[in-house]
Amino acid sequence: MTGPTPAPTAIRCRDVDVRYTIRSHRPLLRDLLRGNAPEATTVHAVRGVDLEVRVGESVGLVGPNGSGKTTLLQAMTGVLPLAGGELLVRSLPTFLGVKAALRPRSTGRSNIRIGLLAQGLRRDEAEARVADVAAFTDLGPAIDRPMETYSSGMRARLHFAIATALTPEILLVDEALAVGDRAFRERSARRLDEHRASAGTVLLVSHNLAEVRRSCERTVWLQEGRIVADGPTDEVLRDYEAS
Amino acid sequence: MEPSEEAPPADEGLFAVGRPVPVGTYLRDLWHRRDYLVRVPVEDLRVQNAHTLLGNLWLLLNPVLQVAVYLLVFGVLIELDRGVDDYLAFLTVGVFVFHQAQRTVTAGARSVVANVGLVRALRFPRAALPVGSAIGQLLSFAPVLVVMLAVTLAHGHPPDLRWLALPALLAALTAFGLGAGLLAARATHTYRDLENLLPFLFRLLFYLSGVLYSVDHFVDDGALRALFALDPLYCLVTTWRWALIGTDASGLAWAGTVAWPTLFLVVGFVAFRAREATYGSGA
Repeated sequence: MTGPTPAPTAIRCRDVDVRYTIRSHRPLLRDLLRGNAPEATTVHAVRGVDLEVRVGESVGLVGPNGSGKTTLLQAMTGVLPLAGGELLVRSLPTFLGVKAALRPRSTGRSNIRIGLLAQGLRRDEAEARVADVAAFTDLGPAIDRPMETYSSGMRARLHFAIATALTPEILLVDEALAVGDRAFRERSARRLDEHRASAGTVLLVSHNLAEVRRSCERTVWLQEGRIVADGPTDEVLRDYEAS
Repeated sequence: MEPSEEAPPADEGLFAVGRPVPVGTYLRDLWHRRDYLVRVPVEDLRVQNAHTLLGNLWLLLNPVLQVAVYLLVFGVLIELDRGVDDYLAFLTVGVFVFHQAQRTVTAGARSVVANVGLVRALRFPRAALPVGSAIGQLLSFAPVLVVMLAVTLAHGHPPDLRWLALPALLAALTAFGLGAGLLAARATHTYRDLENLLPFLFRLLFYLSGVLYSVDHFVDDGALRALFALDPLYCLVTTWRWALIGTDASGLAWAGTVAWPTLFLVVGFVAFRAREATYGSGA
């Protein structure tokens, strides 16, 4: 949003570093007794990222696999600790990652309840939204069948519906829209549009560049944990596709 | 969104993520999640036996069959009274209380490593995982408690004032399981080996805690008997028996029933939280 006064900052990354340690094996008794640690490789997944996202912006995050896109989002939610730098946010970003909280043997409806509670709602707040979310999935009577009986497309619809039910101020989306049939994809995209229209901030990680073009006015290109380019989507994606 | 997140306001209403929160905020966040913490175990219990013919009747049948086995083995096949009048009730209380502690600790130990996906996807106080698993174990203890009460009633122990101690004893049992579970969860996250060791540790404790025999009957030396109070499970089993079948419980056993769960809960919580930030990163 370019106006006379820029919108306030939603997310500010200053020199953010995120590291993983991957060991060749977990320490064995042998190692402890001899006092040598197993060979450890530190993966420097995000290196010195400086990024300022303003309220109401929707920013695409592109880059090859392993470039640190998802890791950066995880750091923003506080799921992964920072190895260095500073990460400030206006409100705690929500990750479209509710999938892990759902239980295959429970019905779609029970899972909506669980998913909403998992995202921090109280029981009465969750109860008030269950019907809406169930309607959005458009699963019909299947909503009362156990989730393990769903096709992968049906599951994906359930996940998306639950994860976007809360419309948080800052929404982080990781490859979530490439799910379900065409009608559902369109409805999902509409939901994100509505979210942006209500001054929400969106960070979208995707390999689907058409989707990034459609949804984001600004794009950040990550490569090996560093920002290669940051600017208007058209320009950045032109360079990205040419690389 | 969550008011507790608005920690020290940085510039322009921004705040830092990925920093440890103070213990008060942590506990408040945990309390804020209470509906989730109860909902998940309820749901899991509800669907646990979905694929069986008898469904959730199994929650009750399991402890009943267990008692039936003891009745057959110790009541019919071998005459093994070992200085207790009603061995079946004695055994039932001992075994059920012991197993409840074991199950709570074991489930707590697994709760973090089994939910790494959840830890990586959502931000929440990680203690929610062991706490949730302890709640689940507490809920599934309800039918066990019913069977245990039925057995003691059938053995001529009518309800008396001692039953009033049961809620406190249940709290102590759960607090111990949760505290030890928090410790074990942290340790299991670093050393998965513990998952393999825990069954043997509990097997050893099973024989040391006087589950199968009366410590008072076999150990005459007072000083030696006092050593048993170092075993939290001995203390818990002994005081539970005091409440349900009227056997003696020494002052030391009572002291242990109060002190051990408190100590485990505090130490477990502090130790668990010290590694809070690492639970998603796999090592």
